Amino acid sequence: MAIIETKQLTKHYILGKKKIVVGLEKVDLEVEQGEIFGILGPNGSGKTTCLKLLLGILFPTSGEARIMGKFPDDIEMKQHVGFLPENPYYYDYLTGPELLQFYASLFSLDAGTTKKRIEQLLELVELKDAKRLTLRHYSKGMLERIGLAASLINDPEILILDEPTTGLDPIGCRDTRNLLLKLKQQGKTILLSSHFLSEVERVCDRIAIFHRGYLLATGTLDGLNRQYQAENLEDLFVKTICTFDNQASVKTGETT
Amino acid sequence: MKKMWLIGLNTFKESIRKKTLYIILIFALIVIGASKLFSFLTAEEELKMIKDVSFSAIEFFGALIAIFGALYAISGEIERRTIYTLVTKPIRRSDIVIGKFFGVSMIIFVNFILATIFFLGLLIFKKSPPDVEVLKTLLLIFFELILIGSITLALGTFTSDAFNIICSFFLYIVGHLTSYGKELIERAENIIVKGLADMLYTLVPNYENFNIRDKIVVGLNVSWGYVGYTILYGILYMCIALFIALYFFEKREI
Repeated sequence: MAIIETKQLTKHYILGKKKIVVGLEKVDLEVEQGEIFGILGPNGSGKTTCLKLLLGILFPTSGEARIMGKFPDDIEMKQHVGFLPENPYYYDYLTGPELLQFYASLFSLDAGTTKKRIEQLLELVELKDAKRLTLRHYSKGMLERIGLAASLINDPEILILDEPTTGLDPIGCRDTRNLLLKLKQQGKTILLSSHFLSEVERVCDRIAIFHRGYLLATGTLDGLNRQYQAENLEDLFVKTICTFDNQASVKTGETT
Repeated sequence: MKKMWLIGLNTFKESIRKKTLYIILIFALIVIGASKLFSFLTAEEELKMIKDVSFSAIEFFGALIAIFGALYAISGEIERRTIYTLVTKPIRRSDIVIGKFFGVSMIIFVNFILATIFFLGLLIFKKSPPDVEVLKTLLLIFFELILIGSITLALGTFTSDAFNIICSFFLYIVGHLTSYGKELIERAENIIVKGLADMLYTLVPNYENFNIRDKIVVGLNVSWGYVGYTILYGILYMCIALFIALYFFEKREI
């Protein structure tokens, strides 16, 4: 059963007079419970828009998005979801533990659980030594790691990560990858967006390729490689996008 | 309710750790302290001067604190994108707005109390303990500051930081000039000018209603009835500002 699903999810941005930019166009997506699902696409392809629509940060022009069968504004549903935004910005006057404490309180965690979780998570993201440092003194990689810890503070069933390895060094990327696989073993569902193909290839059970707001392909990597006669993910990625662009230019040529 | 309080507390904590508001408060204290420099005046005139300068400093610097404090609260969070981490938590958008209002009110209250203690200390030092009229003046200044903060908060739900700050200062100035606006409406011959002045007079809260210091400084009394009416007037505008904030923030894409 799909734990995350979108039906004909569409987002159009209106820029100026009569100019409409497609953010997302009639996207049908289903993420099964317990899988790691990767959304791939070049910059501006609609990856972040899709995640923001699922989380109620943006509102759809048409169609619907549901998590655990609930609409994005459902408070009860949000209790079970963790989110890491792209290039995370946090309250830079707080220390790491203070930030986690604040988010834990918004999830109404009790004091004992909060303390235990903060200790565990700081250990997990290797920020135990930076306990007294305010976030304004954090490096980009440290911010990404505290963001990951913050997204896990409620021990969520569903984790939504927007470009989780941006700003991390190779070791940080490897650690994040291992963490995601560990979380999957614990039965968590992970939806992540990325344009790092190798990362996605190594952790995702299924992928979706987005381009210019359209969902071009979705399925397991092996299945899609067979379908598109691709040798690997990079080849698949290039083929799907080039095919779409060629078709789009043919259509434009036909109409002009 | 608990989550609103947490949001408010976090907003307050942010203001404590940011230096901008401290600097404004220090300026206010310096100006209040400087009013003591008029020692060449007679004792009575000096007291009037201390009261006049201090009331003005508490009101003006308090308005700066209210505007900057409220600016950081919502539009600042949107611009810095920290708001993503709030709206994706199990908390209603309306709770975020009300929580932010609590936070801004706390910022205003604490800064107001610190400046007031300093001012009252100065009066006691001058062997002129504050009477009830002084307290009425301070009470109205406090409600004016809360109103200024809530208007900036409301503007922050649908404007950018830069536009918000311009609008907030514009409303603050126009709100103190509404009596001239009324005169303009009466005298204006051009229908557009008349209409525009009429609209501004109706929509913009009249901050001059909260200003009784001119009367108090010269020893006149103001009735509790007037104080009560003005506080109700402030609360009404505050509620309107909060409704606007709730409406726009509920619909805002971030």
